[in-house]
Amino acid sequence: MVGAGHVPGLNAVVMGTAVAAGHLGWEAVGIRDGFDGLLSPERYPDGGLVALDPGLIANLDPNGAGILGQAPRVDPFHVRRVNADEMVEELDLSDLLLERLKAAGIDALVGVVGGRGLSILYKLHKKGLNVVCVPRSIENDIAATSVSFGFNSALSFTIEMLDRVRQAAQAARKIGVVEVLGEQAGWLALQAGIAVGADVVLIPEVPADLAAVATRLKDKVTARRPYGLVVVAEGATLVPPAKGEAKPNPLKASLSPLATGEASDHVIRRSGQAAAAVAEALQLQLAEETFPLVLGPWVRGGAPTAVDRQLGMTYGAGAVRAINAGSYGTMVAFVPPDLRFVPLPEAINKVRTVPLDGGFVQIARSLGIFLGREL
Amino acid sequence: MARPVDASGQTGIVLNIQRYCSHDGPGIRTNVFLKGCSLRCKWCGNPESIAFKPELSYQASKCVGRKECGACLKPPFPEGAFYVVEGGENDTVKVNWDLATGVDEAMVSLCPPGALEMFGKRMGVDEILDEVEKDVSFYRSTGGGLTLSGGECLLQPDFSAALLKGAHDRGFNTAIETACNVPWAYVEKVLPHVDTVLHDHKLTIPERHKKWTGVSNERVLANFKKAYETFPNADFIARTPLIPGINADEEHIRAVLAFIRPHKNVIDYELLPYHRFGLGKYELLGEVYELDDYKTPSAELVAHLQAIIDEAFGRTGQAAPGVKP
Amino acid sequence: MIRNLGHAGTHRRVAVNVGSGFVPGLNSVLMGVALAGGKLGWEIVGIRDGFEGLLHPDRYPDGGLMALSPERVESLDPATAGVLGQAPAVDPFHSPAPGGADVDRSDEILKTLQAAHVDALVSAVGVAGLGILEKLHRKGLHTVCIPRSIENDVVSTPMAFGFNTALSTTIEMLNKAYQAARSARKLAVVEVLGQQAGWIALQAGIAARADAVLMPETPCRLRHLVARLKDKLSARRPWGLVVVAEGAQLFELPPEPAGSAPVPDEDGPCVVPGPGRAAEMVADRLRARIEGEITPLVVGPWARGGNPTAVDQQLGMAYGAAAIQALKGGRNGVMVAFVPPEIRLVPLAEAVGKVRTVPHDSEFLRIAGSLGIYLGTGL
Repeated sequence: MVGAGHVPGLNAVVMGTAVAAGHLGWEAVGIRDGFDGLLSPERYPDGGLVALDPGLIANLDPNGAGILGQAPRVDPFHVRRVNADEMVEELDLSDLLLERLKAAGIDALVGVVGGRGLSILYKLHKKGLNVVCVPRSIENDIAATSVSFGFNSALSFTIEMLDRVRQAAQAARKIGVVEVLGEQAGWLALQAGIAVGADVVLIPEVPADLAAVATRLKDKVTARRPYGLVVVAEGATLVPPAKGEAKPNPLKASLSPLATGEASDHVIRRSGQAAAAVAEALQLQLAEETFPLVLGPWVRGGAPTAVDRQLGMTYGAGAVRAINAGSYGTMVAFVPPDLRFVPLPEAINKVRTVPLDGGFVQIARSLGIFLGREL
Repeated sequence: MARPVDASGQTGIVLNIQRYCSHDGPGIRTNVFLKGCSLRCKWCGNPESIAFKPELSYQASKCVGRKECGACLKPPFPEGAFYVVEGGENDTVKVNWDLATGVDEAMVSLCPPGALEMFGKRMGVDEILDEVEKDVSFYRSTGGGLTLSGGECLLQPDFSAALLKGAHDRGFNTAIETACNVPWAYVEKVLPHVDTVLHDHKLTIPERHKKWTGVSNERVLANFKKAYETFPNADFIARTPLIPGINADEEHIRAVLAFIRPHKNVIDYELLPYHRFGLGKYELLGEVYELDDYKTPSAELVAHLQAIIDEAFGRTGQAAPGVKP
Repeated sequence: MIRNLGHAGTHRRVAVNVGSGFVPGLNSVLMGVALAGGKLGWEIVGIRDGFEGLLHPDRYPDGGLMALSPERVESLDPATAGVLGQAPAVDPFHSPAPGGADVDRSDEILKTLQAAHVDALVSAVGVAGLGILEKLHRKGLHTVCIPRSIENDVVSTPMAFGFNTALSTTIEMLNKAYQAARSARKLAVVEVLGQQAGWIALQAGIAARADAVLMPETPCRLRHLVARLKDKLSARRPWGLVVVAEGAQLFELPPEPAGSAPVPDEDGPCVVPGPGRAAEMVADRLRARIEGEITPLVVGPWARGGNPTAVDQQLGMAYGAAAIQALKGGRNGVMVAFVPPEIRLVPLAEAVGKVRTVPHDSEFLRIAGSLGIYLGTGL
């Protein structure tokens, strides 16, 4: 099954799993849309499970991603249902799911999931499910593995698009402020920024001082080189933070009694806000025009790179090996040059952030890329 | 439905008791918010009122960090429920909402800066009425009293009925705020004790109602109609939370007016402009608010729609009662 | 008046510049001009940023004019953006001056060109630029123009430079949007370039399997769009793609008083949301009436960058060389227009003031209709 959210090239992982399993004489089936294929089979006229037999696999497009669909939220412990009394409720359907998995004759489950999925599958494992996880993260922030599936494709696409923005900025003599994926970790922003020679890269790990950024841009953007490129990760933060609500509103108390003053924090973190906020703030301090762009939504479509295709097959096959060895409750991790099976408790809650004294940051600095404040 | 109800009706799950409310029925009132709702309106400004059970709330700005504290990273807190992202100057604790389901009131009190709180707790009828009674002088001078809302107070019908009856016994008038998406039996049990019924007409077209709240509105409308007819002595006030792009249009307003006009005990129709005050609470619960791009309605739009209502109630040219600012 | 050259066809110094609006890959145009001109022994100079290099040479530390010898040009990458920059979006006939009043700087331009011994000007321009160049021509400027337009809205040629690249990029982006929409089971509403003409929207929409394409030429009635989308979307196929050109026109639904039946053909006001807002606007209106999630996306800015396609690279060189050929043949005041399989020379006066929009009987519209793509009024 695959977790929530789209990552290019998921088909490669599915193929890897199916082919390796077939080789051992096992049967592989895919569950549609997370767990929905089993929990809501009535929604699938063609059945909630997809038999991943050799015929289907041979015709599968390795560049595609949709064979098993996806669900916006995959959490069998909180499934929203409308009951017989027409009332909406959230139900814990984990036991039902385990029953249905058994009834379908499924001995083990490979879950291609991101950070949150690891916790959910771990809970299912504690309830008795034989599960092996394959890490997928477009932001590459799952710490237990060096490379998550999906990151390479996202990086490649991001670099391509940043190139375009740079050209457009150059021709128009403006400063492009591009928001890229990266809620918790700035790998995508930093590596892509290095590749295209950005002027400034803002990442969640380094709260940025916009006044300092403006000063640096003023130095870099000159008559001879009248344009600039600023790359901002979604989760980048600014110092000082945006202002909260000034005075308590009496109406608020009765409409929303427990509301805190933190509504403004929430607003800042949605997609597009980072670029807009940075572009606006910089505009106030610079003569050149800044223009914000958001890359996020586009990265989630598209074909995988060659690296991700190979990685996908490898991970899929690795998961089958783990099952064969009985290493349940683990996540397949690529720690070059080996594949390891990391117990889930060691993989959960571990977010890989960019180390401020690490190689990439040093390289960026040596290339003259400003990271938001003096480090 | 998995409602943790107390069959005796003497206790219920309460979210908050708010005093000095002036927009929840006549006069100055005390509003008791019950937990639990049977709708999932996408614009909800009180997400902490939706689930029945007391829920964990985490306010990151209050966390003093692992170096100074770190209490939640050790037993008795469930393993993996709280963690710190390694690297850089990161020290603030984050919540793994999937593994934090076992956190309870006792554990929460172990957080020194109070970054952890529980939304909601079980309370008794008398406990609540004693609190309500504190403002009895306000009620007397303004015509106020007790209001029950939530969440959906009708989902704890025995408890609500006991509270409202108890309020009457002590001499206060009563009001409820309800969306009425409950079996008729619950309505029947509670309404005999209610003087003013504030009820929500959210959307008129059934498929649109389903899209934005999770269920169709046929049963809700049937409940309203039956309630109007069964309780002729109660005052009913219709309300609409006005969300531009969803229901803030003439079509909806006129449809509601057409529905309520035949019933003389529906004495007013109030508009509640969409607000975004509650959005920070989604953060506290680790939830996602889906209507990020939606804006509050303009003053012109509200005035325009209000004028249509005033006309229907024969109030042109005067300031109408119960109008939201 | 530019000095008369004696016998026609003998030019010694030709300038080349670029109009406003970024189009990828202009270097190939410059290379075409430079190489063809160099072969004739002519001197080619580029003017930076439209006419700015002439009017404000002080702003250019390396000089406002740039010599484009074949050697210099050999080192250029045909796949990169114009080394000559581009003109600001300012009409030299109505140039804003400090103090507020507009100033006509056309005489200044002509004088400066004369003083620089420039005999003729090759200009890669779009619709607006054509108008300006034509006026300058009437004042005596010897010029040949090259059509460049990301939207392909320059009349007299179905192949303006830059269109193929923009189309290609747009199709790529639409493919991604389609994939993401299908995977997430949403309806994607994607805004593409096209303020006056819907060529990009239409052709990219056909390529990317759009369910509906909204263009300036075919004002769309929201009620019909909603009805058609409701037909197409189903439980088996809950995703979709709606392509909206920046300048698409939309007839809103009129306010309906409750209780009365809606008048079948009545429409509300017509709106043109404009660049950056079209996708959002359409998505907003659809949200209220269609189940399921609707996501607006904007391609616009992304299609303005990037490397040119192979076709545009070849077209650029060909147009550059053709412009030189035209000058050699003594032509003046014309635009080179590629009308496959020939290159024609169209007098500027015929090309100005017009925008090449999608005609109502266009084969592309028929094809789109036959593929089940909803196009707006009447179709």
